[in-house]
Amino acid sequence: MSYIPGQPVTAVVQRIEIHKLRHGDNLILGFSIGGGIDQDPGQNPYSEDKTDKGIYVTRVSEGGPAEVAGLMIGDKIMQVNGWDMTMVTHDQARKRLTKKNEDIVRLLVTRKSLENAVRHSMLQ
Amino acid sequence: MDDYDVRSAASILASVKEQEARFERLTRALEEERRNVSLQLERANLPPERLSVCNMGGSQPLAWQQIVMQEQSPSNQTSLAMMQEPQELVEETVTIEEDPGTPTSHVSVVTSEDGTTRRTETKVTKVVKTITRRTYHPVTVTETLVESKPATPIAEIDPVTKMVKTVTTRTVRQVPLGPDGLPIPDGSSPLGSYTDSIDRRYMKNGDRYITPQATSTLTRSFNNYNDSYTENPEGQYRHYGLHDGYTDMSDNYGSLSRGVNYRPRYAYMPPNNYRPENSYTLPIRKDDYGHVAQPQVPMGSSNVELNRSQPERFHPEPYGLEDDRRSLGPEEEEAYELEPDYSTAGRRTLAGADRGRQMREPIREPARVRGGYEDPIEAELIDERHPYIPSVYTAPLAQPERGSMASLDRLERMGRRSPSIDSIRKDPRWRDPDLPEVIAMLGHPIDPVKSNAAAYLQHLCYENDKIKKDVRHLKGIPILVSLLDHPKAEVHRKACGALRNISYGKDNDNKVAIKNCDGIPALIRLLRKTNDMEVRELITGTLWNLSSYEPLKMVIINHGLQTLTNEVIIPHSGWEQEPNEDSKPRDAEWTTVFKNTSGCLRNVSSDGAEARRRLRECEGLVDALLHALQSAVGKKDMDNKSVENCVCIMRNLSYHVHKEVPGAEKFQDPTANQAPGSGGPQRKKKDDAGCFGGKKAKGRKNGENDKNYDTLDLPKRTEPTKGFELLYQPEVVRLYLSLLTESQNYNTLEAAAGALQNLSAGQWTWSTYIRATVRKEKGLPILVELLRSDSDKVVRAVAIALRNLSIDRRNKDLIGSYAMRDLVSNLPSGQQRPAKNLEEDTVVAILNTIHEIVTDSSENARSLIQAQAIEKLVAINRTSQSPRETKAASHVLQTVWSYKELRNTLNKDGWNKTHFQLTTAALPKGSKSGKPGYDDTTLPLMEKSQGNKKSGSGDVIPMDELGPDGYSTIDQRDKESKYKTGDGSGDVTEREPLKNDTNRKNFLRSNRPSVNLVDACDVKPQPVDSWV
Repeated sequence: MSYIPGQPVTAVVQRIEIHKLRHGDNLILGFSIGGGIDQDPGQNPYSEDKTDKGIYVTRVSEGGPAEVAGLMIGDKIMQVNGWDMTMVTHDQARKRLTKKNEDIVRLLVTRKSLENAVRHSMLQ
Repeated sequence: MDDYDVRSAASILASVKEQEARFERLTRALEEERRNVSLQLERANLPPERLSVCNMGGSQPLAWQQIVMQEQSPSNQTSLAMMQEPQELVEETVTIEEDPGTPTSHVSVVTSEDGTTRRTETKVTKVVKTITRRTYHPVTVTETLVESKPATPIAEIDPVTKMVKTVTTRTVRQVPLGPDGLPIPDGSSPLGSYTDSIDRRYMKNGDRYITPQATSTLTRSFNNYNDSYTENPEGQYRHYGLHDGYTDMSDNYGSLSRGVNYRPRYAYMPPNNYRPENSYTLPIRKDDYGHVAQPQVPMGSSNVELNRSQPERFHPEPYGLEDDRRSLGPEEEEAYELEPDYSTAGRRTLAGADRGRQMREPIREPARVRGGYEDPIEAELIDERHPYIPSVYTAPLAQPERGSMASLDRLERMGRRSPSIDSIRKDPRWRDPDLPEVIAMLGHPIDPVKSNAAAYLQHLCYENDKIKKDVRHLKGIPILVSLLDHPKAEVHRKACGALRNISYGKDNDNKVAIKNCDGIPALIRLLRKTNDMEVRELITGTLWNLSSYEPLKMVIINHGLQTLTNEVIIPHSGWEQEPNEDSKPRDAEWTTVFKNTSGCLRNVSSDGAEARRRLRECEGLVDALLHALQSAVGKKDMDNKSVENCVCIMRNLSYHVHKEVPGAEKFQDPTANQAPGSGGPQRKKKDDAGCFGGKKAKGRKNGENDKNYDTLDLPKRTEPTKGFELLYQPEVVRLYLSLLTESQNYNTLEAAAGALQNLSAGQWTWSTYIRATVRKEKGLPILVELLRSDSDKVVRAVAIALRNLSIDRRNKDLIGSYAMRDLVSNLPSGQQRPAKNLEEDTVVAILNTIHEIVTDSSENARSLIQAQAIEKLVAINRTSQSPRETKAASHVLQTVWSYKELRNTLNKDGWNKTHFQLTTAALPKGSKSGKPGYDDTTLPLMEKSQGNKKSGSGDVIPMDELGPDGYSTIDQRDKESKYKTGDGSGDVTEREPLKNDTNRKNFLRSNRPSVNLVDACDVKPQPVDSWV
């Protein structure tokens, strides 16, 4: 997942559409994120490249909207509703995801298993 | 041929005549019926012909009709012909059968089906029945013949055959007549060809005429019927007579019949019939046996050779694998049964040349084979056989040069039937599939191949770390994981079984590999989907294995905690969220699934503060565990593994409750916090308060609790406690004390004592309640009693619990008076260890407890002296090899010496100041001040050390091997714990800091690096993690 700054990044991505769950006043996505350019990337257990400051899915609540939509722990979020998520602070990412006026978020995520699958199929 | 010589012509004639007579009678009866019916029909004003035909057309498929017509009338002729020239006619019979017959009698018969004339119908039905039965049980016929002709059993076979055949033909005719106008169920469609196959088989037998035909399918099913339904022992005999000569047949038979046969045989040793199966499971006998004759009926072996090469023989190939799988059946259950054949087979190939004959010796007990080989699967295989024959060819099992033949050979090997075959096909074209091939087969388009491959993998991996590793390197694990989502139960079950074996063992890379391909969510998904108990056992077993590896614990919590709780723990615990008043509370069921799941949670519950928090907050978990334990106590069933797991989880969750539970601050006792570190008087005051007034004092601080505190009842609550609050309610004390009284399981005892230890630690309102409740429930004598336990770790846990309990002043006094002797008796006397030979940790724990008890209590110090402890303490102080023991002992000695009122007594006993001083060699002054013993007790750190050992000690319960090895693994836990400085059982014994005094913490740190590590773990700023 390492890349050269300024160069286009090739990543195998999956679209995931999460319908938020209304819980009182809150809209719930049912997952938690870690990472961001203001965080210590070394502590991210999910990144392959320990300098990757991207936003990662750290937990997915069982049976929650995110799990239903197929989001998995360790997924790296590339975009949220078209907004780039690879160069944002943790808080920016959180805000992007939790906009009150959006009931649906469309994520572009990448995950190791996806890449492996693609690589595998290309090899064959 | 021999048969002919043996057979006496007369006997044949006689039997044939007898049959002839019967047939004539039958024929006549039928004729009569027919006449009757047609007469009646004519009388009734119906157009008979048309109607009957209509009926036929309506109720039966056309093809069937035709068969019926063809065969009906010739049958009479056949029987006649046969009677005259039995031997030659066999062949003719067949021909005749195939002739289109005249439909004359048919009309009448069909007409009778109209239902107009009851009389007719019944009669016909009757006939049908008799005959039909014969068809399915040729045995019956045989018997008749045997009776008439007692001589030469073999000779009889042919006549019998003929009889059967004839009868069958007739039956066919009758079939459409079936009582209800329905075709007779079993016979219906296959019946025609079925007859056919029987005939041909016999032809082979009698006339040495070999027809390679495609009838084996039917024949086989026939055999199954025969076998499973006949109770007559003749059936067995018969079976041999028929098949053993025909190696090919019996091969097929062997594989197929297993499923069918096993269940009925389950309880007893199968008779002869079993033998072939044994040899079946011993695939590699070939070379060993050489030309030795087989015990089976020798006839026909030469024929076999010819048959061998026929294509039909490929059918069984898939069954060959199935057998592999079958042999695995027991492996899943009882490891030790398993080792026998298959493993050797597999290993031999994979590992190299070891022929491992001796390993093959233990022959599997039939009873071990699981009944689990479901008929549905069997059926499935039969159904699919034809479609997938071709693909069998492509299966990697087949060797390139011989293609399908290779698989054939393999089958034979498995069947291991006839020595002559072996001798002829000496060259080893057949081999076991190698590992890459097996793994490749996991992706085979045919489901049974997948499941067989998975089952074979499971088998190969059993107790073989190298193969597990190879499977990992060959990327087999992701494929297995992907099979977990396979819709077919057989496939995901076998895949799960393989994963369970792979996940077991010390090689954590295997576990990581499963995790890395999202195996944990896949397992959890499957758990949610399936209701199959066996699959659930496999899943939870796998998870248990995975949970023994530290880094995976949180992953399991993240993906599976709530599911495991909802799907397993709650239902099996008998706990109901909203108890129905009508029904009495359910008891817990100690199922394997529950055991596995609780074991898994037990492991993950030791993963630190976050894990504990998640478990405590997991809805229903604590409630269900408590309910299960209460039910165990109620039923006095407290020694099993599930109970042990539950108590361990409870103990772990009780650790640090006073710090970690939400809202804990409200209950903190400010006076208590400063008490411990500070000097005697202050402490004393607090302790006095604890005795009786203390409750009031606390009550004052937390106004609400005031009343209740006085009476020491549970604080009254507006709503019932639930969830994690249950962990520290005083009610649990009784539960733990019951366990401590009744259980014989050391791990359970240790965990229960550990739970009390955790709960009684800390300075918050609840721990005050707990300490007082233990006393009120008469728990102190129970604990003291356990100081005499033979188990080191129990003694240790109890000692530390007593130490925490003695924070309560009254408890301290009681323990000082009644427990001192038992405590002291556990101490080694000098270099000579007492009988129990307790570990260093335990000795240190006891010394620390003694220290706690004598602190601020000269009375207790006096009892210590009276218990002859000084001599032991001095000896430890002077001579112990362990610096920790030395430190702890000297600490006690210093405290004792600090009571000036006691010095007189001590001096009288011959002690002087030097005895109570630190031996210079022992330690630098600085550390001495630190009361070294405390590090042990103040133990947030245990956890870490625990964790490190965990992989070994942590309850990797050998799901796949419950055999001796399995047990050794379990024990290993204990063994392992001996090496640890930490605590005994594989679970986290969490000990509470008695005092939060800063001094102590300091030296504690310096003393033990692990402390820092642990603390660092908790303290380290967690990466930001936001729920969205």
